[in-house]
Amino acid sequence: MNRRQFLFTHGGGLGGIALAHLMQAQPAPQAKAKRVVQLFMSGAASQCDTFDYKPLLIQKANEKWDPGEKVELFQSNPGVVMPCPWEWKQYGNCGKWVSGLFPHTAQRVDDMAFVHSVMAKSNVHGPATFMQNTGFILPGFPSAGAWVSYALGSMNENLPVFVVLPDPRGMPPNGPSNWSNGFLPATHQAMVIQPSSDTPIHDLHPPASAKHITAASERDGLELLRETNRAHLAQRDGDSRLEARIASYEMAARLQLSAPEVMDVSKESEATKKLYGLDREITADLGRRCLIARRLLERGVRFVQIWSGADNGFPRRNWDSHEHLAKDHGELGTALDQPVAALLEDLKARGLFDETIVHWTTEFGRMPCSQGSKGRDHNPLGFTQWLAGGGIRGGVSYGATDEWSYKAIEKPLYCYDIHATILHLLGVDHHRLTYRNNGIDRRLTDVHGQVIQDLIA
Amino acid sequence: MPYAHLLFLAVAWQLQAADEVSYRKQIQPLVMARCEGCHRSGPVNLSTYEGLRKAAPLLTAAVSGSPPRMPKAGAPLLAEEVTLIRNWVAAGAKNDGPGELWWSLRPLPSSSKGTIDKFIAAELGGLKPSPQADRRVLIRRLTFDLHGLPPTFEEVEAFARDADPQAYENLVDRLLASPRYGERWARHWLDIAHYGDSHGYDKDKPRANAWPYRDWVIAALNNDKPYKRFVDEQIAGDILFPEDPQALTATGFLAAGPWDFVGHQELKEGSTDKNNTRLLDRDDIVATVMSSFTSMTVHCARCHDHKFDPIPQEDYYKLQAVFAGVDRADRPFDDDPLVYTERRALLEERREVQLRLQPLLDKVEFATSPEIVTLTDRIQDASLLITHMGTPRTPAEAEEKAKLQARQTADRAAKQKLVDALVGEQTYADMKRVQAEAKLVDDKFAALPKPRAVYAAAAYFPRAGTFRPSLEPRPVHILNRGSVTSPGKLVAPGSLRALPGLSSTFQADTEGGRRAALAQWITDKQNVLTWRSIVNRVWHHHFGSGIADSPNDFGRMGTAPSHPELLDWLAVWFRDEAGGSLKQLHRLIVSSATYRQSSANREDAAQIDANNRLLWRMNRSRLDAESTRDAVLAATGKLDFTMGGPSVRMFFFKDDHSPVYDYARFDPETPGANRRSVYRFTVRSVPDPFMDRLDCPDPSVITPKRNTTLTAVQALVMLNDPFVIRVAGDLAAKAPTVREAVRRIWLRDPTAQEEQRFTQYANKHGHANLCRLLLNTNEFLFVD
Repeated sequence: MNRRQFLFTHGGGLGGIALAHLMQAQPAPQAKAKRVVQLFMSGAASQCDTFDYKPLLIQKANEKWDPGEKVELFQSNPGVVMPCPWEWKQYGNCGKWVSGLFPHTAQRVDDMAFVHSVMAKSNVHGPATFMQNTGFILPGFPSAGAWVSYALGSMNENLPVFVVLPDPRGMPPNGPSNWSNGFLPATHQAMVIQPSSDTPIHDLHPPASAKHITAASERDGLELLRETNRAHLAQRDGDSRLEARIASYEMAARLQLSAPEVMDVSKESEATKKLYGLDREITADLGRRCLIARRLLERGVRFVQIWSGADNGFPRRNWDSHEHLAKDHGELGTALDQPVAALLEDLKARGLFDETIVHWTTEFGRMPCSQGSKGRDHNPLGFTQWLAGGGIRGGVSYGATDEWSYKAIEKPLYCYDIHATILHLLGVDHHRLTYRNNGIDRRLTDVHGQVIQDLIA
Repeated sequence: MPYAHLLFLAVAWQLQAADEVSYRKQIQPLVMARCEGCHRSGPVNLSTYEGLRKAAPLLTAAVSGSPPRMPKAGAPLLAEEVTLIRNWVAAGAKNDGPGELWWSLRPLPSSSKGTIDKFIAAELGGLKPSPQADRRVLIRRLTFDLHGLPPTFEEVEAFARDADPQAYENLVDRLLASPRYGERWARHWLDIAHYGDSHGYDKDKPRANAWPYRDWVIAALNNDKPYKRFVDEQIAGDILFPEDPQALTATGFLAAGPWDFVGHQELKEGSTDKNNTRLLDRDDIVATVMSSFTSMTVHCARCHDHKFDPIPQEDYYKLQAVFAGVDRADRPFDDDPLVYTERRALLEERREVQLRLQPLLDKVEFATSPEIVTLTDRIQDASLLITHMGTPRTPAEAEEKAKLQARQTADRAAKQKLVDALVGEQTYADMKRVQAEAKLVDDKFAALPKPRAVYAAAAYFPRAGTFRPSLEPRPVHILNRGSVTSPGKLVAPGSLRALPGLSSTFQADTEGGRRAALAQWITDKQNVLTWRSIVNRVWHHHFGSGIADSPNDFGRMGTAPSHPELLDWLAVWFRDEAGGSLKQLHRLIVSSATYRQSSANREDAAQIDANNRLLWRMNRSRLDAESTRDAVLAATGKLDFTMGGPSVRMFFFKDDHSPVYDYARFDPETPGANRRSVYRFTVRSVPDPFMDRLDCPDPSVITPKRNTTLTAVQALVMLNDPFVIRVAGDLAAKAPTVREAVRRIWLRDPTAQEEQRFTQYANKHGHANLCRLLLNTNEFLFVD
């Protein structure tokens, strides 16, 4: 009896689904990684100015661009062939070409696996950003971090499972709904940490203006609350929710102690701070957020998402370089490069690298031709992401775009395969990670997804 | 024992042979789901047993083979399914009775007798029901259930002492007559409409005119609008009740979900992404309508035939065709029915003029040549660079900006010339003539009093960016694998064929006629889904779980009803006896002994039915986000009962490329800050962190059932959110003694021991701290 027939016969129902899942004989994959740190380039980071080297763009610089078919662009008509503003060089034993935008990160190419053939199902920031986060181009679906929380739960009950570190300049397109728990229970919500804000974590402590709340009032108060709730419970035995709510206050108290500790980088060595670029203005913010990410991962947080870039407004504050790519990508790339290289190096030095998947992603890529004179329009047909650490084979380049880096032609794929691979490395079969919503067993990978074996060590 | 497995196989074979394939149970449902979609008339008609028997010799061959010829849509049949068909045909294609319909599609009994308590008792078996809860518990339960608010201490005391034998019934009547009822139950409905006050996605713009729909729901419930009318108005109120401006606001239901601003307003007409944006927008409307009213997961059939329910892809696209003439936009209306009537006539006139004007405008808009393209690119390039530059910081930049602007002006003029030459004088002359006609109508509009607006389904609206009305329903094709780049057969408007006794193709061409036909299809007395769906939904909100515990899915992937006879009886009673009165349905349910039971656990019963599916006790519930916030405000006496009107923005707002919504910078002294939660301005992209932590659903998700979680961050918001701290301070001032505070929060007097402990704490740390703690207790946040 297969799953479908089973459901027909037994009329479905949650028990039926769970049981049907158990009846699938495949064992869960062996977990190679325990946690994920995802770096999200909001606004669409260009592939042909970073990791997807195409000599043809240099050879045919400023000539009319003709890919041999009609090109449908987001805003504009195709301009001339525009080479990368930075010089390309080869790095590492694998000889990977990397543009001059990322000289530090380039030092680690032998640890990194590049996927050059990613495509997106939308050419619009909002839907495409949803897609990379949730697997759907619509709002209302859970993000990968929430799914991982749902699948694997906590490794440290004094800290949340899923943490998001947004860009201090503002929220990315779609705002916090990018890291929504969607229809998954609120237990899987992300905790947002904004280290440069006066209140880095919402409601972690009472507002400073509430002078009547003191350490002593809190200590006695929580004891009194516990006592009162226990007395209430004593007359209502057999309701685990009442007990769970009592326990939630104990967890909250532990979180109040552990969260400030994890955000406090002052006790890190000077060498570490320098490594992450905390001493330079341009790298200080991402450096600090990458360092906090390492501290979170070290303490057992499962999924940390770091955003580079805010919304698509002006002055430019994300990677959406329609107008002046050299300037805007230049600033964002420089802010990112050293901190990310430091994170890779530091994870390795602390023995965390092998169990931590590092995933660099963006909603789509950019066109090989110019938009106007200095910018590039959106390109959802072929762009680059990279992975490193936790079970990933280093020094690999997987899939390819055409000679222009316009279209994925070799092993084209969507984020489904990358999500499937990440889940696989975490020991989760993406087919079996489901949650019923409005009549459908929803998955992070929708009805798609194949584990990319070539990326796995 | 080398032959053991052979023996086993032989036994299995015999079992299989003995276990004859049933037409009623196996073949008919399979054929209905996979074949009937195409083969319902003509030489191969599989919709009847006779037709199927005649086709039987061909059937096995058609579905086997590799690849099989049939079915053409969706995945091939499974090997097991092919075997079923083969065995059935081989055994003579026997008819063992009419095809067995899925429970939700079966006809409703014509009439039946019973009471809720009898139906419940019939399933309890050996279990005894629980005794009635005490009066203090009952009034708190009932008030939260019907109003989403606590009663006052005085109301609890008065009810506990009320000697009238009709005391409970009187209480129910009083609560149902209060406008607080509509506010509470509207919230449940808005959850499935996935109502929000902003569009969602990138550039999440405020939706300033969503609220008239929210007010319509509240008023409809308070006025006990019969359910048929409640449904009709939300799908086609503007068409079916053209004289009633409020019926137009009801169609805000169709537009309540998210809307992709960039996709609709910035993408070029005809591009793949634009078409996809439209497809998904229609999909949301179809899913919302069919999930809310019929509890069917029609949206599962966008890319392929429904895998579990008898919904072929064609039926799904017929439903898309129903909404093919509308978009989501502001629609003007007038409170004065006479003005409204005049405006409607003018709008129709204006649409008709636009229908002639649009092709002429399109000639200009889409005029193109290589030179025009070059100029367009240069104009855009200048725009980009000017925007990117912002305010010039140096003289050199200022000079560059001026140069770009001058170049752009010259390019625009040059482009205009080229376009004019291409379009030709005749077109401009025609345009001028039609534009003059349009102006005549526009002038008449200007003479009317200023209208109000509701964000609703709209067939005509002024253009914004590339977003413009279709003016006539757009053609809808079946899309192979749901892809806009693989259109198949053109479809006519219609609905599901799976419902016996209802025609699934609509004889309606006009935009409005299509929606009216669907409304009537849904509210038909014979539409068994509709009547089962609503009584189950109401039951779900009273008890915390439905009779069928998947209120939006009555298909094979849903949960079968625990008490199917009760569900059917309620559906018939509600439709025929109560005339679709929701208030009568509430009264019936909350008056039952089943509802009035104590929620206390009983070990004996828990061992048999721990999840209480049989309802041997009442379910205890945690307050949802809105009830928590409202109850906190109610405890202080500060809850502001102002009804209706624009949603209250409980955040700092700054419009920008992507607008900023910041809850931390909200000024709690803002007028309306203490109004009920149903009047909150709900932002899709940025949820209110306080409400979000308390399981308030994402307004972009259709939410028939809320989750209830208990988390550490939830404890933190209840302890530390500025809202709770502020209200606790207010409460301390208003109720300066321990006794008074406990009365306001727990609705009872403290015990001597409690009073002593609380006083001790308050003396040491202040009364405001005590009030804050009491608001954090389980006794405050759970309802027995």
